[in-house]
Amino acid sequence: MGKLLKNPKLLVIAIAGVVALLVSVAGGALGASFGLGQLGGPIPFISIPAERVAYIGSYPLLNSTIMFWFGGIILLFVAWRAGRNVKDVPSGWQNFMEAIYEFFSGTVDGVAGGEPKSGRRFLALVSTIFLVVVIINWVGILPGVGSVGRIETIEEWVHHHIHDLEEKVHEEHPEYSDKQVHGLALLHLLEEHGTDTFVAFHGIWVPLGNGEQKRVPLNKIVPFTSDELHKLEDKIKVGDKFNEDPVYLRIDQDIREGVVKEVFVGGDDKEYDFIGKTAGLLVPYLRGASTDINTTLGIAIVAMFTVQIWGFRALGVRGYGGKFVVNPIKQGPISTFVGILEGFGELTRTMSFTFRLFGNMFAGEILLIAMAFLLPLIGIIPFMGLELFVGVIQAYIFAMLTLVFGVMAVASHGDHDSHAEDH
Amino acid sequence: MDALGITVQQLLTQLVSFLILFFLLYKLAYGPIMGMLDSRAEKIKDSLEAAETARLEAASSAERVEAEIAAARVEGQKIVAEARDAASKLREQEQDRARTDVELMIERARIEIAREKEAAVEEVRKEFAGLAITAAERIVEGSLDVKSHSSLIDKVLEDGLGERKN
Repeated sequence: MGKLLKNPKLLVIAIAGVVALLVSVAGGALGASFGLGQLGGPIPFISIPAERVAYIGSYPLLNSTIMFWFGGIILLFVAWRAGRNVKDVPSGWQNFMEAIYEFFSGTVDGVAGGEPKSGRRFLALVSTIFLVVVIINWVGILPGVGSVGRIETIEEWVHHHIHDLEEKVHEEHPEYSDKQVHGLALLHLLEEHGTDTFVAFHGIWVPLGNGEQKRVPLNKIVPFTSDELHKLEDKIKVGDKFNEDPVYLRIDQDIREGVVKEVFVGGDDKEYDFIGKTAGLLVPYLRGASTDINTTLGIAIVAMFTVQIWGFRALGVRGYGGKFVVNPIKQGPISTFVGILEGFGELTRTMSFTFRLFGNMFAGEILLIAMAFLLPLIGIIPFMGLELFVGVIQAYIFAMLTLVFGVMAVASHGDHDSHAEDH
Repeated sequence: MDALGITVQQLLTQLVSFLILFFLLYKLAYGPIMGMLDSRAEKIKDSLEAAETARLEAASSAERVEAEIAAARVEGQKIVAEARDAASKLREQEQDRARTDVELMIERARIEIAREKEAAVEEVRKEFAGLAITAAERIVEGSLDVKSHSSLIDKVLEDGLGERKN
């Protein structure tokens, strides 16, 4: 403490840190309960499937695919710089790439038995998995990923959600016309999701402080009373004439406009007047590729498929296939059952690969969002570091498990007792 | 599957993307680097072997040089000792010769001196005889003839000289 007082630079830094912390606490979720909370970020709608941001022809381009290729291009650039002019005395990028390659070369040989070059066949896939996963994990936490996007309007939202309800109504009442089905489904949607909340956009921004407490419920964007809905429902059930009903027209109009219509009471029991502001959900243009289950499943399938190829190439069709398909008469039914379990094991490994990476990275993304909400501005900093670390660790786990499974697959039956279990 | 967002289309997209990345990474980086690392390992092995041979060679040549130096040292010592012997022998010879020379000179001088002395004595005797005769002539003026009395004179002289000699 004495040292701190003597050194003016340290003192200034310490004071700035304390002030930042206080501002952050006051501006965040804690401050919001005392009427402050001017800095909290909004909690966006968290969607497990990756969002579509564009169509190329009829092919829907996902925001996670964009980030996959963004990371991939960075990786390819590094690889190109490293490999275009290899020299015996390395420099620059070659040094960097060589260090990674040598590290994996050593690890792979070590796991595969210790002889030099004994793990050569695993090397390329294992290091590719590591590099690709680490780069997509890292570009996924760049600022702007997940927070810059398109506004999904109420009209689009209704369009996405009404489909299932329409099918349900149609099943229950096959006698209704399409129009009637649509009308009923819309009413059900309003009833079911009337308290769902949306973000009020100020132009193209969501200002800081428009956190969870200031999200607008659907029934303030498309105002209705349950009385109105009941009367309308009765009308719809009678016939097609309902679409001249003023209540129905008003609801339809409100959905198409998609702006806040009424003052609402926020989560902190205060009234908020966002009348006229566009309400909707944020669809991010970019999303970390490893937070999309398609990516992790794709890599896991490649990894486990290659493991099978290694197994067949090392032990032959009979040797490796004999691990899964066992003759119950010759070797007993228990061995047959164990063989079937081995086959299931390969599937569960694929699944555990998929969900381990997806779960860790998706949780990390949500953690960052939550921290931006709880401790705005500074709370995210240590967790960014944590996410960088988790990104490397997960990539390393993915690569190492692939290697271990590969080594187990090429090992002959006798020394197959020790299973490396998943983490 | 819908809730998780798994679609065949997207799954294939990501899967194929990964395979393309794998292929390109192999072409761009792993291939060249792997080849280079192998060739470098080979090179390092070769140069280590070369260094080992060079080291052995250097060690053996150092040994040889040392042996040669030792031989040269022995040779040198021998030469020095010989030179020292020769020098002392020469000195002795010179000393001997000088001593004999000196003795010879002394001997010669002694002989010379003896001869000179004899000559001088003869001369003195001759002079003395002449003087004695002259004196006797003066005394005995004419009574004594040189020829007739020479035997007497000789006798006198011999006595005189014999006395002096003795």
